[in-house]
Amino acid sequence: MAVVGVRELRPLVPAFLLVLGLLALPLCMVADESLRPYVSGHIGSLAGAPLTFANYTELLSPAYANFFLDTFRLSLIASLVGIAVGLPIAYIIAHETSSRTRRAWIIFLVSLLFLNVLVRTYAIGLAAGPPGFGRALASFLGMRLNGRDYAELTVVAGLLHCVLPMAILTMLAPVQTLNPRLVDAAEALGAPRWWAHLSITMPLSTRALMAGFVVGFTFCVSAFVIPMVLGKGRVMFVSNLIYTRFGEAGNYPSGAALAIVLLTASTVFVYGIGHLSSKLWER
Amino acid sequence: VSVAASRHVTQSAGLRRAFGRRMDQFGHLLLAALITVVLAFLLLPLLMVTVMSFDAREYLGQFPPPALSMRWYERFFAEPYYLQGLKTSIALACLTMVISTSIGVSAAVGISMLPTRAQRILTTLFLSPLVIPGVVVGFALLIFYSRAHVDNTFLRLLGAHVLITFPYSIRTVLATLSGLRPSYVEAALSLGATERRAFWTVTVPLLKTSIGAGAVFAFVFSFDDVAASMFLSDPTAYTLPVALLSMMYANFDLVIAAASLLQIVMTVLLMLVLDAIVGMDRVVGTSVYKA
Repeated sequence: MAVVGVRELRPLVPAFLLVLGLLALPLCMVADESLRPYVSGHIGSLAGAPLTFANYTELLSPAYANFFLDTFRLSLIASLVGIAVGLPIAYIIAHETSSRTRRAWIIFLVSLLFLNVLVRTYAIGLAAGPPGFGRALASFLGMRLNGRDYAELTVVAGLLHCVLPMAILTMLAPVQTLNPRLVDAAEALGAPRWWAHLSITMPLSTRALMAGFVVGFTFCVSAFVIPMVLGKGRVMFVSNLIYTRFGEAGNYPSGAALAIVLLTASTVFVYGIGHLSSKLWER
Repeated sequence: VSVAASRHVTQSAGLRRAFGRRMDQFGHLLLAALITVVLAFLLLPLLMVTVMSFDAREYLGQFPPPALSMRWYERFFAEPYYLQGLKTSIALACLTMVISTSIGVSAAVGISMLPTRAQRILTTLFLSPLVIPGVVVGFALLIFYSRAHVDNTFLRLLGAHVLITFPYSIRTVLATLSGLRPSYVEAALSLGATERRAFWTVTVPLLKTSIGAGAVFAFVFSFDDVAASMFLSDPTAYTLPVALLSMMYANFDLVIAAASLLQIVMTVLLMLVLDAIVGMDRVVGTSVYKA
C-alpha cells in the first residue's frame, strides 16, 4: 500500500479536526497568552498588547521554583515507591497459575483504576485525618497533624493509591514475557531462588520498571485533585498554581506561562524516557 | 587428603543450600507481608468511607461510628446542588461516549489502512490528549472558548470530554485491528464482496468487543474528570465531581462519603459489564496499557 488515496483518509478527518481545533489551536493560544503582559484588574490579556517574556522570567524566582521542585520531588517519591512495591506484585500476578486468582487480581486493580480520583482522595483524607488514624499516625511519626510534613505524607499516600494499580497493570505485560525457565535454569545450576530472582529477574525487568515509572510519574506531575485536597494549602503542585492564577487572580498570562512550562517539562520527560528505554531495549 | 577436601566441599555446599533455603523462606514471608500491606493500603480507606457514610452522628466524628443511619444518603438526594451535577454528569458521559467512540473507531480504522510510518505518527498525535495534564487541557480550552465565543457551558464541557476520551477507543480498536488476520477480509473479497461490504460484515463484528471496551472507558473517564471540567464549569452547568470537589474544599462533610459509596457501587457495576463484554484478562493484556 504505497499510495494512499484521498478516500482512505476520510475516516481520519473527525479525529484530525478534533485534535487540531480543540488541542493544537488552543495550545497555540495559550502560548500567545503567555507572551502578553498582565494588566491587573483585567481578566485575560489586552488585545494588541506588545509581546513580553516577563511571565517566564517571573517563574525563575525562588518562590515559583519551589512549586516546581515540590511537584517533581513528591511525584518522584510516589512513582519510585509505586514501581518498587508494584514489581514483585506484578510478577506474582503474571506468574500466578490459578487463572481465577489472576482474574480476581486484575478485576480488583482495574476497578481501582476506574474509581474516581475524587473518591480515593476523600478516602485517604478521611483515613489519614482526625476521624481515622491521623492522630495516632502523626504522633507515631513525630509529626504535627497540621504540619507541612504530614501534609506531604498524605499527598504522597494519595498519589500512591492511584499510582500502584497503574504501575502494577502497566508492568504486568512486560513482566509476563519474562521466561520463568531462566530462573529454573539458574536454580538447577545451584543458585538459590532468591539469588536467581535478584540476578536474573531484576535486570530483565528494567523495561517493565521504566514503563511503570513513566505512567506513574506522568500521572503524579499532572495531579490536580490530590494535592489540592490533601495538601491543605501547605503543599501545592504546579497544576494547583495554574488554577489559582486563573481562579483567584484572573492572571491568565501567568497561568499560561506556567501551563506551557509544565507541558514542556512533562512531554520532554515522557518522550525522553520512552526514547531511552527503546534505545536500551534495541541494543 | 582428597577425602577430607571433598567432605569439606560437600559440607560448605550443604551450608550454602541451607542458607539459600532460609533466604527463600524469608523472601516468601516478606512477599506475603508486602501483599498484605498493599491490600490494606488500597482497601482500608475505601472500607472506612463505606462505614462512615452510614454514620448516624450529626457531625464528622472519630471512626468507627457508634450507630448507623441513612442520614447522609437522604441529605445527598435532597440536595439540588448535587442532583443537578449528577444529571449533567450522566448526560455528558452518555453523549461523550457516543461521540468519542464514533470518532475513535473511525480514526483507528483509518490509521490501520496507512503505511507503518504514518501509522506511528498519527497514533502518537491522536493519543497525545492522554499525556497532556488535564489542567493544561482545561486552561487551553477556556482561553480558546472565550476567544471563539463558545458560550454554552454544556457544549464547552462536551468538547473537553470528547477530546480527553476519544483516544481510548483508538487504543482498544487499534490493538484488535493489528492482531486481525488480513486473510479474513481477503476471503470475503475473493468471494465477491465489495470492500465496503467486507468491512461491515467481517471487520466490524470482530471489533465489537474492543468498541464496547472503548465506549466503557469513554463513559468512565468522562464521568470521573475533574481537572479539565473545573475550568469550564459555571453555575449554569457543572459536573458532579466538580460539585463534590468544591464542597470537599469547604468541609469534609459525610454527604461526600455517601456520594463516594454510590460511585464505588457504580464502578463495580461497570466493571462487571466490562468483564461480561470483554473479559478482564483481555482488557489488560491487549488494550489498556499497550499504546
